[in-house]
Amino acid sequence: MRWQRCLLAAGTAAALALAAACGGGQVRGAGDRSSAPSGAGGAAPPATGTTFVYAPNLDVVTDWDPASSYSNEIVAMQNIYESLTKYNIRTQKVEPRLATAWESSKDGKTWTFTLREGVRFHTGKPLTAEAAKDAIQRTKDKGAGAAYIWDSIKKIKAKDDLTLEFKLKYPAPLDLLASADFAAYIYDTAAAGSGDLEKWFAEGRDAGTGPYTVDSWQKGKEVELSLTAFDGYWGGWQGAKFTRVEFRVTPELTTAAQLVQRGEVSFVPRLNPQLFAQAAAQGAQTTQAPSFQNLLALFNTESGPLKDERLRKAVQQAIDYDGLVAALKGAGVAASGLVPQGLFGHVAGRTPKQDLAGAEALLKEAGHGPGGKPLTLTMTYAQGDADQQLLATLLSSTLSTLNVKLEAEPLQWTTQWDRGKSADTGKRQDIFVMYWYPDYADAYSWFANVFRSSDTPSFNLTYLKDDTFDEAVDKLNELAAVDKEAALTSYADLQTRLIDELAAVAVPYVMNYQRVLAGGIGGYVDNPAYPNVVFVYDLTPGA
Amino acid sequence: MLRYLTRRLGQAVLVVAGVVTLTFTVMRLVPGDPAVAFAGPRATPAELAAARERFGLDDPLWTQLWNYARDLAGGDWGTSLHTRQPVARDLTLAFPASLELVGAALVVAVAAGVPLGVLAARFKAGLPDLSVRFTSMLAVSVPVFWLALVVQTVFAGNLGWFPVAGEYDSSLDRTSPLTVYTDITIVDALITGNWPVFTSTLWHLALPALVVAAYPAGVIAQMTRAALIEESGQDHVRLSRALGFGRTAVLVRFALRPAAGPVLSLIALVFAYAIVNGFLVEAVFNWPGLGRYAAASIRSLDTPAIAGVTLLVALLYVGSNLLVDLVQGVLDPRVRTR
Repeated sequence: MRWQRCLLAAGTAAALALAAACGGGQVRGAGDRSSAPSGAGGAAPPATGTTFVYAPNLDVVTDWDPASSYSNEIVAMQNIYESLTKYNIRTQKVEPRLATAWESSKDGKTWTFTLREGVRFHTGKPLTAEAAKDAIQRTKDKGAGAAYIWDSIKKIKAKDDLTLEFKLKYPAPLDLLASADFAAYIYDTAAAGSGDLEKWFAEGRDAGTGPYTVDSWQKGKEVELSLTAFDGYWGGWQGAKFTRVEFRVTPELTTAAQLVQRGEVSFVPRLNPQLFAQAAAQGAQTTQAPSFQNLLALFNTESGPLKDERLRKAVQQAIDYDGLVAALKGAGVAASGLVPQGLFGHVAGRTPKQDLAGAEALLKEAGHGPGGKPLTLTMTYAQGDADQQLLATLLSSTLSTLNVKLEAEPLQWTTQWDRGKSADTGKRQDIFVMYWYPDYADAYSWFANVFRSSDTPSFNLTYLKDDTFDEAVDKLNELAAVDKEAALTSYADLQTRLIDELAAVAVPYVMNYQRVLAGGIGGYVDNPAYPNVVFVYDLTPGA
Repeated sequence: MLRYLTRRLGQAVLVVAGVVTLTFTVMRLVPGDPAVAFAGPRATPAELAAARERFGLDDPLWTQLWNYARDLAGGDWGTSLHTRQPVARDLTLAFPASLELVGAALVVAVAAGVPLGVLAARFKAGLPDLSVRFTSMLAVSVPVFWLALVVQTVFAGNLGWFPVAGEYDSSLDRTSPLTVYTDITIVDALITGNWPVFTSTLWHLALPALVVAAYPAGVIAQMTRAALIEESGQDHVRLSRALGFGRTAVLVRFALRPAAGPVLSLIALVFAYAIVNGFLVEAVFNWPGLGRYAAASIRSLDTPAIAGVTLLVALLYVGSNLLVDLVQGVLDPRVRTR
């Protein structure tokens, strides 16, 4: 038997050697090799120095094409690509990015942007008005993702090398639209030469102007994406900056917490409140900021018991807003109106309060409540979302004291949405719970997408049909472009109409971002207009 | 032997066909529109219609099943809704890492399970036996996800002896780039002599492999013990004992070899189980294998990807069962006639 064993061992060794010799292997993660070496084995070196390590909990890139990208890759794309303008959360105004100045005609239908001088794409080509025009035109023509932000454009003209003129079909705040988180990227449309640009991007290439460019993309690996500094960046590389960005996919929050604690990652976008408090107690750098994403409880105004406005108001008043925010332990903050703080159209001093006596009186008036006819309401919300489940639990227990039974059902989004859109009104829910967030820093989408009437429901899951409301919504964009004060008044009036008069919606809370950074990193600003994005170029590495 | 082989292969094909049909049916029974999952929550009706046409979702169910089976056979396992890449390609990328983890875990499980089983059989009903039985029972019943979190928190987080997560130190991609042949990192590092990556992978592999090994080690220890005790009662073992060999020598030299058959079968069977059991461990340790892919697919209701993972696991089960049957058929001709 001994010779058989020897033969087996020799065979295995030969097979492995043959594989090595003949296989034509590929080098994994080939790219910049100039960085400082680190020790083999043992724990990974701390993420200090010039590499910024971001720990997302999902895969990073699903779409490399800047025209159609509309998903998690935003965290990388905003460091690779730039838009004409950028929304500043502190001033709540748009500021220069690739455009240094812009102006609009009085009627808001002609916009002229002056481009920054000396900007180059990562492909080496200089940024010109013609190149920017081609990028916007391609994004608009593809019509995917958030390309609708360019819908108002009738014609784009490159007046000279650095002047870009837009003629619009109707007035629109183009400076704000040009700062959108998706679809506003300016890129080199000639990057693939005569080849197919979409395929060229799909291989993990980029053609942006941003401070970082793709170094390696290894789908499915732990460090899925690495970016490296673009030497020709117009902002230059003076002073202490991160010269490398890595995205290390970390699905488990407990793992992410330990990694940032040990300094192996620089940034964790989200932890649960317990881990967040623990990280803060252990000395990590933590920040909290309200997002632009709020939870909406949309009431069925068309069919079922909530067709009765009194019952809708009763449910609105039964929600324990303060209790909910307290139970969220920092993951949510109180809402004021429909538009989150920091956005044009936000109204302060509209924080709702629970009013059980008022709710009981309204229920009694409608023949329900304690001692009256029993009432059953159906509610659908996102499966697996602990915060929404908390709302369901608290509301259900409050309503049960008012002789109202709440049948709250957690569902996968597609199922929940399908039911909400069902042509059979009997199948629809009484309360539809979902998050809403804007694609650019403006309140318009809440009104146009969620509450404006439509023949077949899409996101209008209150099924509201109110002509006066629709007319006012249709004028919002024009007002925002030509008369900001009038637009603000209109936004405030519309929120009063929706929440107080029609009682079509309740806003239980606004999501709060809870970020953890490795010690020593400076300059971080959470900008909810670009959800979960860290503008790494603006940071200073730790000591 | 040929008849036996044909019969077993036929049965395996039938099982796989059943799994394909079942997977497809479950995919279509799950509420929700796959087109919405692909086109995104804010898709326009036109984008939804395009997605439906692309995936043939408007065809009759039988046609869809036929197309699905035909494409599977041709190597087209569909397109993942969340990665937007071919599922077969995604699985090819993810599977080697799972294989690496489970392979290492099985080495640990055999290295620990067999000696422990021998020890328990040697001191049957004594303290070592009781300890081994208690430990193996614990290893088999403890929830793997919990074990992973505890091991990670204690040995990586608190003591800092091992890395918290990952397959190897990613900075080595720049300092010691690995040439890939098999996509199994530790194997590639070994055959190309890339020692920095090899040691780093070994170090990163230690904790997750130990956790995945817990269940198979427990089962192997129990099985070895039972097989050895049964074998100890056989005439040839009693004869060896009568000839003056010591208890341990008899167990190791004469009883272990005949008992190896059932233990080997068991290892093949726990392999496929360990792949699935390892999913949760992969999530905790950021291991870039099938587990992470499956978790992301479930979260995004990515039915083609979920079906792909299910089918791959089913093929592994069927394959390892078939292998066990064939090996046993070769070793023991009586099996072929059953």
